Order: sequence, then structure tokens, then C-alpha cells
Amino acid sequence: MERIDLVTSVEKAMRILSRLDVDFYDVVASYSRSLSVNIMGKGVKEASAQIDVGIGVRVFKNKGMGVAYSQSLEDADVEAIVNRAVSFAKVSQPDPYFKSIPGPSKSPEVPDLCDDEIVNLTLEDAGRIPKSMIDAAESVRSGAMYWGGFGANCSRWCLMTSTGVFIEYEKTSASAHLQPVYREGDDVGSSYEFDFAISLSEIDFYKIGKKAAEKAVEQFGSRRVESGSLPLILSPESSSSLFSALLSALSGESAVKGRTFASGLLGKQIAPETLEIEDDGTIPGAIASSTYDGEGVPRRPLNVISRGRVITFLHNSYSAGIMNIESTGHAIRSGYRGQVGAGPSNIKVKPGDSSLEEMIAETKRGILVINASFLPNMVSGEFSTTIDEGFLIEDGEKKHSVKNLMAGGHIIDLYGNIESISKEGRRFGKGFFFPSVKIRQVKLSGK
Amino acid sequence: MKDLLESIVQKALNEGASFCEARFFEERSNSISIENGIARALSSGILRGIGIRVIVNGRWGFASTNIPTRQNVEKTLRDAIGGAKSITAQMGEDAKIVEIKPSVDTIIHDVKIKLEDVSPEEKVKRMLEIEGAARNLGDKIKDTFVYYGDVVTRVIVCNSFGTLIEEITPRTRVFCRVIAKEGDNMQDGFEGIGSVAGYEIIENIEVEKFSLKAAKRAVSLLSAHPPPRGTFPIVVDPKVGGLFIHEAFGHNSEGDVVFSGQSIIANKLWQKIASDLVTIIDDPTRQCFGHFVYDHEGTKASPHVLVKNGVLVGFLHSLESVAKIGGKPEGSARAQSHHHPPIVRMSNTYLAPGDLTLEEILEDIDYGVYLSGSQYGYVESQKGQFTCKVEEAWLIEKGELTEHLRDVAISGLTLEALKNVKAVGKDFRMDMPGMCGKSGQSMYVDAGAPHFRIDGIVVGGRR
Repeated sequence: MERIDLVTSVEKAMRILSRLDVDFYDVVASYSRSLSVNIMGKGVKEASAQIDVGIGVRVFKNKGMGVAYSQSLEDADVEAIVNRAVSFAKVSQPDPYFKSIPGPSKSPEVPDLCDDEIVNLTLEDAGRIPKSMIDAAESVRSGAMYWGGFGANCSRWCLMTSTGVFIEYEKTSASAHLQPVYREGDDVGSSYEFDFAISLSEIDFYKIGKKAAEKAVEQFGSRRVESGSLPLILSPESSSSLFSALLSALSGESAVKGRTFASGLLGKQIAPETLEIEDDGTIPGAIASSTYDGEGVPRRPLNVISRGRVITFLHNSYSAGIMNIESTGHAIRSGYRGQVGAGPSNIKVKPGDSSLEEMIAETKRGILVINASFLPNMVSGEFSTTIDEGFLIEDGEKKHSVKNLMAGGHIIDLYGNIESISKEGRRFGKGFFFPSVKIRQVKLSGK
Repeated sequence: MKDLLESIVQKALNEGASFCEARFFEERSNSISIENGIARALSSGILRGIGIRVIVNGRWGFASTNIPTRQNVEKTLRDAIGGAKSITAQMGEDAKIVEIKPSVDTIIHDVKIKLEDVSPEEKVKRMLEIEGAARNLGDKIKDTFVYYGDVVTRVIVCNSFGTLIEEITPRTRVFCRVIAKEGDNMQDGFEGIGSVAGYEIIENIEVEKFSLKAAKRAVSLLSAHPPPRGTFPIVVDPKVGGLFIHEAFGHNSEGDVVFSGQSIIANKLWQKIASDLVTIIDDPTRQCFGHFVYDHEGTKASPHVLVKNGVLVGFLHSLESVAKIGGKPEGSARAQSHHHPPIVRMSNTYLAPGDLTLEEILEDIDYGVYLSGSQYGYVESQKGQFTCKVEEAWLIEKGELTEHLRDVAISGLTLEALKNVKAVGKDFRMDMPGMCGKSGQSMYVDAGAPHFRIDGIVVGGRR
């Protein structure tokens, strides 16, 4: 990776800001290099490389905030964005909830977040990677048309604040996905498989291709199912949205200011005692890990759901300040474009004692959900979602794939109606862990 | 900048590229966030850089940088050429494009009130007025948000056909979100406007039809009911209709989706795919949120008729998709920024009006659902299965709108739904400015329709 100097530009902005009449400020600069190879149609279509550099400034004056960013680190541009952010901070109005920005803290470094193989990856190397995905899919059944790709990114980031925070870090990531489409007349067999990780060696590209094709072939012959109330068995890929929605609704100012369906759940039992969810941004080598969060607060593991009870919100410094507590280290700052939010890192749902096979075997009539998003209306908690990929289960066996079927209800009822949790599941990016989950009864709209 | 781009294109040809496109992109944006009567944050940003696309050895390579010095741009060209060479030996189809007559032009979109002529203070004052109208509706209003954004995009496209196009486009957008609360029940209401325009669209906002309307909707949804479950005839308003046309049909008509085998209508050109009442057009020349004069391959845009009286008559095209599946290049390739290659995108997509009134559409429905206001949607184009989430709905009973419904979504199969369009109104509106996501790129689009009726649509609910 090129060694473009970020610190000098950040220090320049800090020096200018230190001479101006403002209360708090932070400056962040980042450099990233992304390589990607796109798969379209019968194979690889395009290889590309992107280099992105930028710097962003947040300024607070009388509790009002001004933000400015630029993709140029030239001295004149840095000075211009500083002046812009300062003038904007003076036009914005006092936010009564704003207290300060965090000061410096020391924390042991979370290891293994930068993979040398990705840092040194050339586009020539990257261009060869998708082959094994396509070969694997073709080995299951040839003749698919594909949509997919491979991407790798390495980025460096530098944050300095008027309160003394100075952080630099490097991180890598890689991802791959494949969607094969098979056709038999008007019948379509199609599915999707993916993986992502910090390190290239953790992604099994052949497995992605093979699984995508196997799942696609299973989707032939999909049929409609009658409306009714049936148990749902969610695969790890679909339970991920169920649990991610909950932790997002427990995050930051929206949660604290009473704007999400989970705002009033603190201390309440929402699920059986078997449900335990931890958020942990300190797992070595995990995709959502970092030593510090987006404001420079050390990451730490946090039990969010214990024995089915909500025990904490996930805070950045702003939402923590409203509750007069310390930040939990969940500030999210996406690059250099300014605003800071809050959200989960690596979400780990504790495995249960069932298995996906047992769940299916014990189901007289139900739906196995392979792919669907259970993200609800974040304000009301109500959801109405299409089961994008799934199977009807009858008498303990998968009967056929389903189409044009919707599930609806209140998301809190889904947590409350969790009947069993599998002991096996899927680990994503070495950090997230989602099991299969069986939910007692869910209202379905179909034919 | 144009000299730099032209020299890079020439250098690419000298180094063995059979095609090269060098594209400069600059976006200057400003935003204001209002929350409960406070202008919490003002923000400003500048994105700028160059993206280079080449065909070498019959393969595409693309690279971008936001450090547009000659040295960096030449390195970026080497990366693009290296990218194409890296996949030469891989399984896949040869890259090809149609050659078009070069265009040399500069387009600067006129506005009535230039964005830079209005001070941040004036913009904040106006946004507070708009937000205040919602906040003051009553004690059920819990939170009000207004977001203002303006952006001026400058794109220069230079390619090896000799095309050299510069287009400078201002867009202005504002949306209002209101959360209403009664006991544990919370609901939200939303209104948004946006167009290729200057500040005049902000001055023209009537709060009764905008922020106050969002607030009233949030409050009224507190007492709305869950929808019935099952398969029903539905009637959609112009916003939901626009969303349906965009999601259920539009993505399926994108040439790259078609030639890569991901579209349910790929093999149906000149076939009847919809009822006689259905005519669908994508028109970048309309001055709505998805408006442009030249696409990001430098092709002059014209209206694209996609479905005429139920017959599929065309697809949306890039220079590549025309070469692969035939048709006319009418300018549908756009890129989010210099960091992205142009891909086939919709612009302003709509269902053409028919001749009925809403009352006439409703009158012969015994039991159904009327859907109003779009939230979001998506389609699995390869299967032709779509989902649209709407803001609110009403039961239709014996031709009348009765019970108010909330949290409604619909799901359907594209080819069935298009054939089941049973009535089309005359009250056309293009009213859905927004951003459309595809292949990791976000793009300005708009969509519209008159009121129309579709039978046999699955309505999701919890009743």
C-alpha cells in the first residue's frame, strides 16, 4: 500500500483550528485502496482499482456543529474546509444534549486486523481469484449466468481531536459473492452466497461457488403457499437481520431519545432466557473489530441481551452524555465525511442446544427461511417482509421452495416467540455469530 | 482538465487499448440537519477525481483516483490497463461496445435561484419554518426532522471516439420526517421533494402540502390498523405506482441485467408481457430528479419507450449492452462518481396515463387495498419477484376507501403483475425523487404513474 502521509494534513488542520475561536474539534483523514473483480454473465467482466483519499473536520461552537470534508489533502483545500466547518458551526444552533467529545484513553491493541496478503495484493492476483468460485459452481451444474464479484480493501485512518485523542490504524477486508441463475423454460433456479473477512486466507472461494450453485438448483419448482400462521425456522443468514435490527434499535441517540421500537426495552424481558447476545469489537482478526471506536474510545465486549433481558444500550459519547454515563465504545464514523453515529460491532448470539435438522424434523408444517430481511420499521417495530428464498416444511421434511410469500408482525413478538436456538450456526468475518432460530408462529400472506 | 483527459485517452490508445474513456467528476454538496427546532449541523463536502475505463485484449479495466495530478492519472491509466490484462485469461465474455458518433458539447443547467446565492443563514431560517409547521401540529408530535441537501455535479467525459462532454448539474432536495407518539405507539410520516433545480424549489414549498402533511400523516397512522393478509386487487397512488414500475419492471429492463442473464424479461423482446393498458417510459429529458442531457459515456439522452400497450419494445442501454443485445444507444449509463464505472441506470421512469378517474378505478372493486406513499422496494430481477413497502393504505370496500391501514408491504411476480394491470388513471404525477442502489452505486432517479389497479397482489400484514 502506498504510504500517503495523512498525519501532516491532519496536523495542519489542527494547527489552524487551534488558533480559532471554537470549543471542540476533531479531524480525520483516511486513505484506502480497493481492488475489485466483477463477474457478470458467463464469467469475469471487469477488474478495477480505486484509490480514495480524504480529510474531514468537525467543529463545535456553542454546542452547534459544522462539518466539512474534501477529497484533497492539498494545503489550500485543508484550510478551506477548516474555514467552512468553523463558519457552519457558528451558523448552527446549540444542541442542548451535546456535552463534549471524548478525551484520550489507552487500550491494548486488537491484533490481526491487517492482512499483509491483501496489502500486497496486485490486480493481477485479484483477477485470478473469482475463477475458483465459477469453477465450483460449474462443477455442481454448468451453464449458469452469473452476477457476483470479489473485492479487497486496505485502508489507513488518522484521527486527532482537540481533547487530545491521536489514533492511527490500518485495516484490511475482503469479500466475495456469487449469484448463479439457471433456467429451465420459465422455471428459475437462483440463489446467492457470500463471505467476508479481514484476511484473504479466511475466505473459501470454492465453497462460496459450490454452495451458491447447490442452493440455486434447490430453488427450481418454487410454489405458492396459502396464507396462515406457521412456525418459521430462520437460517443463520436470515436470523442475522433479526438480531442486527435489535442491536441497531438499541444504539445511539435514536435509542436514547425514544425513537426506536427498542427505546423502552431497557431492563425488560423480551425473549426466552436462552437468548444471550454479546457485542464485541475486540475479537482479534474480526471484521468489525478495532482497538478504538470512531471517536477514539476503546472498544470493549458488552453483554446486550442477558437471559432474554435487555441490559444496555450501545453508546457513542453523545448518547452516553444524554444518560450521564460513559460511552460504551460504539461510535461509528464512516470515513472522512464527518458525521458520527452509533451501532453494533461483532454481534455474537450464544448457541443453543438444538440443531437445524432437529428443528426441521420436529416441524409438522412450517417455513424454512433461507433468505429474508427481518428489518422492521425502526420506529414502530412492525414488519412486513418477503421471504426471498425458503422452503415449505411438512411432516419434518423440506417439500418445495416457496415464492411470493410474505411474513408480517411485530418484531418484538418474534423475539418473544423464539422456541429454539441451534448449537451450530455461521460465523461471519471471524466475529459475528448467528445460529438458526425457530419461531413459534408467524403470520404469513400468500395465495 | 479537458487537455489532461484527452492526453490520457491518447496514451491509452498508444499503449494498446482499443477503447478508453477518461471521466472527471466533481461534486460540491451542502446539507443542513434540523431536529426539533434546532439546526444541529451544517455540512459541506467536495468530491473530485478521475475514473479511467479501457478495453485491452477484449477485457474491461477500470481505475480511479482522487488525486488528479498528471503523474497520478498516468498511474491510474496503468492500473486500468493492468486490470484488463489481469483477467484476459479468465473465463468470461469479450468486452465490446458500439461505436457512436462523437459529441462535443457543454451543458450548464439553468436555475432560477443559484444555490450559492443563498446564504447558509437564510437556508437555516427557511428550514426552521418548514420544520416548525410540523412541530406545532400538536402534542402527539414527538420529533420532527428536516434535512436539506444541495449538490452541484460537474462531469467531463472524454473517450477515444472523440467525445468530449461537460455537464454541470445542480440538484436540490429536502425531506421532512415526523414521529408521532401516543402511549407506546409510535408512527412516522415522511414527505420529500427534489429535482434538477436551484433554491427556487425550496422557496416554492407550501408547508401545508409538505411538512404539515407529513405530521398529519404520522398522527393519523397512530389510529390506523394492520392490513389484512392475502392476495387482493390493489390500487396504487402515483408514488407507489412509480415505485412499482421502478422495482418490479425497471430493473429488469436494464441492459446489463439483461445480457448477464439476470432479467426475467431477457428473452421477451417484442412479446406481450403486460396488459394493453401498460406503456412504460424512462425519460432522462424530463426535468425531474433523474434528469440529464448526456449520460456518463457521453451519449445524448432521449426518452426510452420500454413497453408499448403491453408489448416489450426495448431495454435501457449502455454502449456495451447495445453491442451485446442490440437496440439503440439512448444514454442510460451513469456512474455514482469517479470511483465507479458507468452502468445501466434508470432515470425518470413512469407508467403512461390512461383515461380513468380514481373513482372509476375504485368503483368495481368489492374488497381490496388502496396503497399510498412509497418507502422503499427491491426486486430479485432474475426471479422477477418484487417487494414494495408503502407509507399507508386504506381498505377498499364496495368501491369506497374505508379503514386506514399502516405498515403495509406488497409482494408479487413481475410478469403476473404487469398482466394484471386492470385499470389506469389519468391523474399522472412524477413524484418519487430518490436514490437508487445497484452494484454498490447510488444514483439520482425519479419515478411516477397515475393511479392504477393491479389484481392478485400479495399484501403482507399481521391481521
